[in-house]
Amino acid sequence: MIAELFILALLVLLAGTIFPLIAASLDRRSVRTISLSCTIVASILLGILSLVNLLSGDSVSFTLYQPIPAFSLSFVIDRLASFFLLIIAVVSACVALYFTEYIEHMDGESRRNLLCSCTSLFILAMVLVIASANTLAFFLFWELMAASSFLLVTYEYTHDETRKAGTFYFIMTQLSSLFVLLGIILLYTQTGSFAISPVYGGMTYLAILAFLALFAGFSIKAGIIPFHKWLPYAHPASPTPISALMSGVMLKIAVYGLVRFLLDVFTPDLWWGVLILAAGTASAVLGIIYALKEHDVKGMLAYSSIENIGIIFTGIGLSVIFTASNLPGLATLSLLGALFHSLNHAMFKSLLFLTAGSVVSATHTRDIEHMGGLAHRMPVTSALFFVGAVSIAALPPLNGFASELLIFMSFFSSVALVDPLFKVLLFICLALFALTSALSSACFVKAFGSIFLALPRSPESAVAEEVPRAMLIGPGILAAACILLGVCALQIFAFVGFAVPLPDMLLISLLLVSMAVLTYAVLYFTASREVRVSETWGCGTLSQQASAEYSGHGFSEPLDIIFSAIYRTRTTSERTFHDQKNCIFKEGTGEIRLLKVFEEYLYRPIAQQSMSITKSVSRFQNGCLDTYLLYVFVTIIALIIFLGWFA
Amino acid sequence: MIDTAIVVGIVRILFVCIIITAAYIISTRNLLSVVSVYALQSLTLVCIALALWSLEGSIVLLEIAVVTFISKVLIIPYFIATIQEKIRIKRDIEFHYLNPTTSLLISMALMLLIYMALARIMEGTPARESLFFFGAVLGISLMLMGMMVTFSRKRAITKVLGFLSMENGVLLFGMFVTELPFIIEFLIIIDLIILVILTAILSVGIDSTLEDYHKRLHRFHLLEESEEVP
Repeated sequence: MIAELFILALLVLLAGTIFPLIAASLDRRSVRTISLSCTIVASILLGILSLVNLLSGDSVSFTLYQPIPAFSLSFVIDRLASFFLLIIAVVSACVALYFTEYIEHMDGESRRNLLCSCTSLFILAMVLVIASANTLAFFLFWELMAASSFLLVTYEYTHDETRKAGTFYFIMTQLSSLFVLLGIILLYTQTGSFAISPVYGGMTYLAILAFLALFAGFSIKAGIIPFHKWLPYAHPASPTPISALMSGVMLKIAVYGLVRFLLDVFTPDLWWGVLILAAGTASAVLGIIYALKEHDVKGMLAYSSIENIGIIFTGIGLSVIFTASNLPGLATLSLLGALFHSLNHAMFKSLLFLTAGSVVSATHTRDIEHMGGLAHRMPVTSALFFVGAVSIAALPPLNGFASELLIFMSFFSSVALVDPLFKVLLFICLALFALTSALSSACFVKAFGSIFLALPRSPESAVAEEVPRAMLIGPGILAAACILLGVCALQIFAFVGFAVPLPDMLLISLLLVSMAVLTYAVLYFTASREVRVSETWGCGTLSQQASAEYSGHGFSEPLDIIFSAIYRTRTTSERTFHDQKNCIFKEGTGEIRLLKVFEEYLYRPIAQQSMSITKSVSRFQNGCLDTYLLYVFVTIIALIIFLGWFA
Repeated sequence: MIDTAIVVGIVRILFVCIIITAAYIISTRNLLSVVSVYALQSLTLVCIALALWSLEGSIVLLEIAVVTFISKVLIIPYFIATIQEKIRIKRDIEFHYLNPTTSLLISMALMLLIYMALARIMEGTPARESLFFFGAVLGISLMLMGMMVTFSRKRAITKVLGFLSMENGVLLFGMFVTELPFIIEFLIIIDLIILVILTAILSVGIDSTLEDYHKRLHRFHLLEESEEVP
């Protein structure tokens, strides 16, 4: 039953991929709506089957196609896979619903049909990666996912910025595929099969290398620092629903890959956990610090994705450490925290991306300094964004709080660990993690304040209007999911059979709501009924202007100063003088520029090194016949020597 | 039938002739004599084939001797001599990577290397002690020496001669070690003749670009007649 439902969902997605290709030249709304409807239907099917499977806890496996005995397209849908399928299903359905309206406001005429087709293909590839039963099929669909997402990122290929982002994304994603393939090959040499099955006989060097390769591959895809640089390029460049899909779902596929291989293939050592924990903590802290500095709304959300993936990796790292230290209870707790945060991040991040997309399409700018005052003009969108912002800032009683609390709980319980050195490490990570939470609150207070509150800071945002209903329903469902997952977290965990040390959020939220109602009632009954006409929050200033507002830059300035060591600005000035002794100043330019640390100290040097290596390699191909003959000659001599002495 | 020992002695002398001709092709700067030395080398091969035929009586060897004589001793040298007449280059003094002295030293080292390698490979087989072992060593060495000529000379025409000399090495190796079917040997020779005819057309431009080709034709006075036409 599960298998049939799964295949049906795949077929519907395939139909959604192929149909717009057949009607590629027809620039009709109906074509795109049908394709996106296919995606929605398939997502609902997937959602149903994954929910059923998640609750029953069965493991369904089946083979679709077996061309040769060593390789088959077989699938396994167990509890872990169902969980991630559920994430894909919910986010894809909401994004597709949003997309039906959003795509009609995009440029590109009939090219938009291809966008629909690629979106379906992308979702299909992600579903297949999750369900793959062997490493080869996993890699195949992983590559399909990379290729289709590349096409989606470069949709607006006429913009220079998009082309740059596309190139960047392509290189990073291929690097990721390369590492994953390397890991798979190493695993194959170790075990002799492509099955995702445990490696027996201890962790040899090969197995460790395989883990490192896979970890690197998944980290690049997930955007772990220092492999994160593609996110802040690709997200602003791609269409908003695609950003939502990529950030909400695709990053989780990498998380799934890591969890799957850690649980089912390897027997992790302690230091693996430390590695994952360190990478996760670094990404979380640096991600949010960079997000604070970002004024492109989608770029900020991209950095915040890095932060959240960091939190998820922190949970996974803790789980590995606890498993290796023989503390299974704590390991389960932290893994549950990581997985629950994956689900929650998928919900609130796609919600934020979609609402940000609505804002961008209404104001035609991505710079939050040019927005403002949208709460009056787009009330529903602002309410939805508010829910997302509260969730991501991990404020109770929403879902971000619940999952981060789980990870905090497992940190707190790490006192049980005996090794004092380890305690120190865990406490440092805990402190950084707490800092991350605080900074993410600051970041989203700034984002919400700059985008929606105060007065409009540009003519476009002054005339912005609320988006059509379809662009509200999709995010609306996600917002409802955020609230539900937060408020009923304890009940949900109990329902799927895990006892977690969470407070009853239902009670807390009831308390909070009653407090709010009480406060409002008290104010309502005690406040004066006198009507005053004045400017809100004017503080005595007459005729306020938008330029006098507290801006996003202003809000983050104190944090900029605190973290100036991390931001690394470079100050340059050029001056010319009238006289030779440099006394009479003529003119000059000054600049304070934010250094792109990773790009300038890591990516560029590596790129330059590889360029110079390729240049010296390409010198071998100099177009001269004699040289090529010389190569043949040398090869023959080498062969003769090999045959004579080594064969 | 002639006594086997005498034939073996003759073949050994012919081997020495082949080494001398190969060394000459590698080292000389005089283009005119290279062609005649090549013809001499081919003739030596014909003699070896005949000597082997007298030992073994295989008719294929006789056929090889006849075909080699016609093509490599008569036709190909004739064509190349014609080309040389046309392009009026008497000396080839441009070298790539190796100059003649180094080439000679390297080819000596090569022969030694191949001898040792083959000795190790054929260790214990009956072919190790016989004439055939030397034939194989010489065949491979001749091929590699021809190859050295192809990449160390800049003139296309010398390159072609190097290539032809390589083919002689293959033939030598084939005669001694493997039973090369006659048809293949025949096809190779047809290929060689086509190659040489093509060279006759292109030899001045074979290692240049097409834009450069006309300029070269002018430089070597091949288009004199057309130039005279106003």
